[in-house]
Amino acid sequence: MSNNCIETNQLTKQYGNKTAVNQLNLTIKKGGIHAIVGSNGAGKSTLFRLLLGVATPTSGFAKILGQDSQKLNSDIRGKVGYVNEEHTLPNWMAVEKVVAMQKHFYSKWNENIYQKVIGFFDVDPKQGVSGLSRGERAGFNLSMALAQSPEILILDEPTLGLDVVAKQSFLEALMFTETESESTIIYCSHQMEEVERVADNLIILEKGRLTNNSVPDEFVERITSWIVDFNGKKIERDQVSGLLSMKRIDGQYHLMVVDQNPVDFRSHLMNLGAESIHPIGVTLNSAVNAFLSKNHNVPS
Amino acid sequence: MSDIKAVNIHIAPGDTRPIFKQIVDGIRMQIACGNLPIGSKLPSVRGLAMQLTINANTVAKAYNELTSQGLLEARQGLGLFVSQPRQQLNLVEQHKRLDNAVQTLVNEIAYLDFEPQQILDKVSGALSKLATSSKNETGNHE
Repeated sequence: MSNNCIETNQLTKQYGNKTAVNQLNLTIKKGGIHAIVGSNGAGKSTLFRLLLGVATPTSGFAKILGQDSQKLNSDIRGKVGYVNEEHTLPNWMAVEKVVAMQKHFYSKWNENIYQKVIGFFDVDPKQGVSGLSRGERAGFNLSMALAQSPEILILDEPTLGLDVVAKQSFLEALMFTETESESTIIYCSHQMEEVERVADNLIILEKGRLTNNSVPDEFVERITSWIVDFNGKKIERDQVSGLLSMKRIDGQYHLMVVDQNPVDFRSHLMNLGAESIHPIGVTLNSAVNAFLSKNHNVPS
Repeated sequence: MSDIKAVNIHIAPGDTRPIFKQIVDGIRMQIACGNLPIGSKLPSVRGLAMQLTINANTVAKAYNELTSQGLLEARQGLGLFVSQPRQQLNLVEQHKRLDNAVQTLVNEIAYLDFEPQQILDKVSGALSKLATSSKNETGNHE
């Protein structure tokens, strides 16, 4: 059995003239928490729909647990959990009734896990679903998804719109899952602080293409940031190699660059006429921001 | 009752140091100021991950780093413990660390209006405080 739970090959999805996922070759290893990050419209949700077999690829294919996503049998479907940002639930039912119904659908329902995860959230079983707060709905959905003991759990922006308390509970529940179960969690989010805390692996999608698939710390190491004084001389964007972002503040240039060896880059700046060069620290948030915003400047 | 010593560190996402480095620095500081005396037992990887709400692999990475630096030692089947200081660093590394720390201090205080002697007095004051507190701690422990 392969070590990968997801493999895509030249996976492409077009909606009319728009290419949502573009010749994507993505491999996700079994185990751990994988964060998918990208601007709005980068193709994250489309990718999830393709993986779940809800959408059909225009070309290429995706394999989930070794099976083509277009031909998933019920055995594989039972091993994949999905929680979306809407936290869709039957509003007219009580929490405990929803749970009783779900148990019948899933042969591998694990009551112990359900109780432990729901314990992170303050949910009364007698309460009607319509009366749950957004955070409680998110927690309830996560608990039910995890109780199915999925091999893969896909979470589409699960913490969107949650308050600080609900978000903290959600992350604690996720951490509990990572240490207590064998599930592979694939999770997309715009919250870099969360990603920094929880993710084993950072996947970046830009315009339907894969631009990073590594440990978050390794990604941050690709990016360096510099404050450079060219003594009043004007520098053009295309003169700087690996440039992600350039700002001119108080006559100095603030540069962020990708995949540049610091020693070589320093001499590159000297050649451009730099008078003083200061490297400054990069955070995951600033690195991802610079990396994603670069594309907004490039006409396509 | 658990014999695990509580680790009092905080994680700041958005810091320029990666989280594993923040844990390494935090634990090293706790050892240096005597909150984690020699021989004390650290939380499990899962335990510290739950405490800080971070990925367990990040804690494991930090513990590995501290172990390879000689600050922590694994005892088979028992867990991780703060090791004896003499095993921790070789002389060259000790000098390098001291130089770095001094440089950081000097950078921080360069623009404050203190006479060099005033600064030296503060430093010796802090050192003697550290010496008494760590003596008390190890004394309690043995």
